[in-house]
Amino acid sequence: MAFLELKNINYKYPTSEDWVVRNIDIKIEKGEFWAIVGKNGSGKTTLCNIMRGFAPSFFKGTFEGEVIVDNKNLNDYSEGEKATKIGFVFQNPFVQISGVKETVYDEIAFGLENLGLEEQYIRNKVEETLKLIDIDYLRNKNPFELSGGQRQRVALASIIAMDPDILVIDEPTSQLDPDGTEKVFEIIETMKNKGKTIILVEHKIELIAEYADNIIVLDEGEIILRGETKDILKNKVLLEKEIGIPQYSILGYELRERGFNIDIPTTEEQSINIISNIMQKKVIV
Amino acid sequence: MSFITKVKNDFTLISVLLIPVAVAINFVGFQLAQALKLPMYLDSIGTMLVGLIAGPWVGAATGLLTNLINGIFNPVYFAFIPIAILIGVLAGLFSKHKMMLGPIKIGICVVLMTLILTVAQAPIIVYVFGGATGTGSAAITAAFLASGKQIWESVFSSTIIAELSDKGISLVTAFFIAKSMSSRYLSKFKYGEQYMKKNKKTNIDDIV
Amino acid sequence: MSKRIDLVNNLYPTTKFIGVIVIILSAFIVPGWKYSYSIFFVCALIALGSGKLKSYLIITVNSLLVLILLIFLMQSILIPSKEILYKIGFINVYKDGFYQALNLSSKLVAFTSAFILFFRVTTVKDFILSLENMGLHPKVTYVIMSTLQLIPEMKKEAGVISDAQKTRGVETEGNIFVRAKAFVPVLIPLVLSSIAKTEERAITLESRAFSSGAKKTRLYNIKKTRNDTIAIIILVVFLILCIGWRVLTIWHF
Repeated sequence: MAFLELKNINYKYPTSEDWVVRNIDIKIEKGEFWAIVGKNGSGKTTLCNIMRGFAPSFFKGTFEGEVIVDNKNLNDYSEGEKATKIGFVFQNPFVQISGVKETVYDEIAFGLENLGLEEQYIRNKVEETLKLIDIDYLRNKNPFELSGGQRQRVALASIIAMDPDILVIDEPTSQLDPDGTEKVFEIIETMKNKGKTIILVEHKIELIAEYADNIIVLDEGEIILRGETKDILKNKVLLEKEIGIPQYSILGYELRERGFNIDIPTTEEQSINIISNIMQKKVIV
Repeated sequence: MSFITKVKNDFTLISVLLIPVAVAINFVGFQLAQALKLPMYLDSIGTMLVGLIAGPWVGAATGLLTNLINGIFNPVYFAFIPIAILIGVLAGLFSKHKMMLGPIKIGICVVLMTLILTVAQAPIIVYVFGGATGTGSAAITAAFLASGKQIWESVFSSTIIAELSDKGISLVTAFFIAKSMSSRYLSKFKYGEQYMKKNKKTNIDDIV
Repeated sequence: MSKRIDLVNNLYPTTKFIGVIVIILSAFIVPGWKYSYSIFFVCALIALGSGKLKSYLIITVNSLLVLILLIFLMQSILIPSKEILYKIGFINVYKDGFYQALNLSSKLVAFTSAFILFFRVTTVKDFILSLENMGLHPKVTYVIMSTLQLIPEMKKEAGVISDAQKTRGVETEGNIFVRAKAFVPVLIPLVLSSIAKTEERAITLESRAFSSGAKKTRLYNIKKTRNDTIAIIILVVFLILCIGWRVLTIWHF
C-alpha cells in the first residue's frame, strides 16, 4: 500500500455548483517528492486541502472517496494526529503566524506546546529546528517585525518542528522575492534529503524541474498527466494549458527544429551538457 | 441538546477567531470617529457584526471582551459591560428572527435596540454615576435637568437621542459590512446565509 | 529601591487581584467618603513603591476628573433640595446633592484607583496565565492575547488606509456630513481585509495542532511564593478589621 493514497476522490465546497476536483487517484510512496501544477482554478489548492484533511473536515462540502495515510483512513486521525503526520504551509506568509507569540523561538514552540509534549523535548526540538532552517539569528525577533520571506521560513520551521512525515506545501514562494524564494527552496531540499514525503504546488516550473521527482498535472479538476518530472515537463500540452515548460526545454525544442537530434532537457544542468556536446561536435545534425 | 452545548456550538474555531477582529473593529471605529470629530462613538460596530452573523453568544463575548480591555485603561467601562453584552445579544437575536431584511424592518431593529439599551443604561448611569458619564450625553442630561426635569427623565431623554444616532449608524454599517462579505465566507457562520447576495455563482478562482 | 519595586510587582497575579477586591470591598464597608477618597492616595503610594506612579496618575486623572466634576455638577447644582451650602453668584450648591455627590464619587474613585493600580503592577499576559492555571480554557487565552496584539495592528492599518484615501480625494475636514462620508471608505476595506484573513488564520492554527485537545505545555509559567501567602493573610485580616469597624460604628449609633 502506498504511503499516501487518494482513491476515487470527488469533492466540492459548500458553495460550489459542480465538483471542484473529480476522479482523483493518486499513489505516493514514502520519501517521494511530487509537484502539482495546473493553471489557476484547476483545483491544486483543493487537492492540498484534501491531502491535509482540511476538506471536508474544516471546509465541509461534499466528499466522495477515501484518503489513506500510512495505512489508516484520514478520517480516523484526530486533529492532533493529522497535524503531526502531515504538515501544511501555504502562500500567504502574513497569516501563518500564530499571533500570540512574541519571539520566533516561542512561535516555533507553539505547535509543540499545543501537543502537550514535554518541556525539555520542546526546547531541544526548537533549538534543532532553528539551526536546521538556519534562522537562529531570528530567534528573539518578534514575528510581526519580520519580512514576508522571513515569516515564510518561520512558518516552515514551525511546521517542521512538529516532525511530520508528509509536507504539503502550497505555492510557498508566490509572494516572495527571488532571495526569499531561494531560501525557501533550500529548506525544501533539506527536507527532501531527510526523507520527508513532499507534495509541492508551484508555478515556478524551472524549480520544479530541479527538485521534484514526480509531477501531477491538473486541469479543470482532473489529472491529465502524471509521471516523472523529466518526462512530463517537456510535454507541450503544458504550454496549451497555460502552465508553461522550463525555458531549458524551450531551448531544446528550438535546437531540435534547427536539426539537432537531442533529448529535450528540463534542467539547467542537462541543457549545459547538451550544448557542450553540440559544441564538441558530438551531436549529429 | 442541553443549553450549554447549544451555546458552546456557536463557538466554532472560525467564529472564535472573528472575536479579536471584531473587538479591534470596535476600537478602530471609535478611533476613526474621534479622528473625524464625529459626535458619535461608533465603538460597537464589530460587536454588532459578529452578533449578526455568528449569533448572540459570540456577539456577547465580543462586547464583554471589548469592555474588559477598555476597562484596563478606564475602569468606568466595567460598569457598562452588561450594555456591551446586550448589544451583541440583540444583534444576534435580530439575525435569529430574520429581522434585518429591508429598510423598514432594519429601522424597527434600530429603534428597538435604542429603546432597550436606553432602558438598560439608565439605572447604571443614575445609580453608579449619579446621572453623569463624562460624555456628551451628560451635557444633554444637564440641559434637561436645568430645564426642570427629574433626573430619571433627563438621563432617559439624553440617552435616547445619543443612542439613536450612534447605534442606528453602527447597526446599518454592520449590516452593510455583512452584505459585502463573500458568500463563501458567510456560509461558515450560523446566520450568514441571510446576508448572502442572491443568485451569485461561486467563482471557482476564489477557492482553488 | 529596586527591591521595593519588585515586592508588589512580583506577587502572583491572582494575589494582587484579591488585593484589589479587598480594597474595593473595604471602601464599601467602611462608612463615609473620607476613607474611600484616601484609597486614591494609598494606591498612589503603592504605585510609587512599584515604580508606576506616573502612569497611575495619568490614567486615574484621565478616567476620573471629568466624571467627578460632572457628578458634582449634576447632583449638587442641578438637583434642588431644601438646604443650600454655598452661593456662588446666582448658582446654588445644594447640601443634599453635594454630600451625595461626595459619597458617590468617593466609591467611584476607590473602585477606579484600585483597578488602575492593578493593571499597572500586573501585565495582562501574567494575569491571563494565572487564570489559565486556575482552569481557563486555552482558546479563551488565545482570543484575549490575539485581540491585544490585533488592536494596535489594525489601528495602524486604519491610519494607512486613511492616508491613502485622503490622497484619493476623500475629504476629512469640513462640515459634519463631509466628515461622516469619510468614515465608510476607511472602515469598510479595513474590516473586509481583516475578516478575510481569519479563515487562513484558522487553518494556520489547525496546522499547529491548536484543536488537538491535549493538555497544553507551557514553556513560561509563574509561581506563587511565600510572599503571596503572607499578602493574602494580611488582606484577609484587613478585611475583617474593616467589617469590625463597620459593625462598631453601627452599634455606636
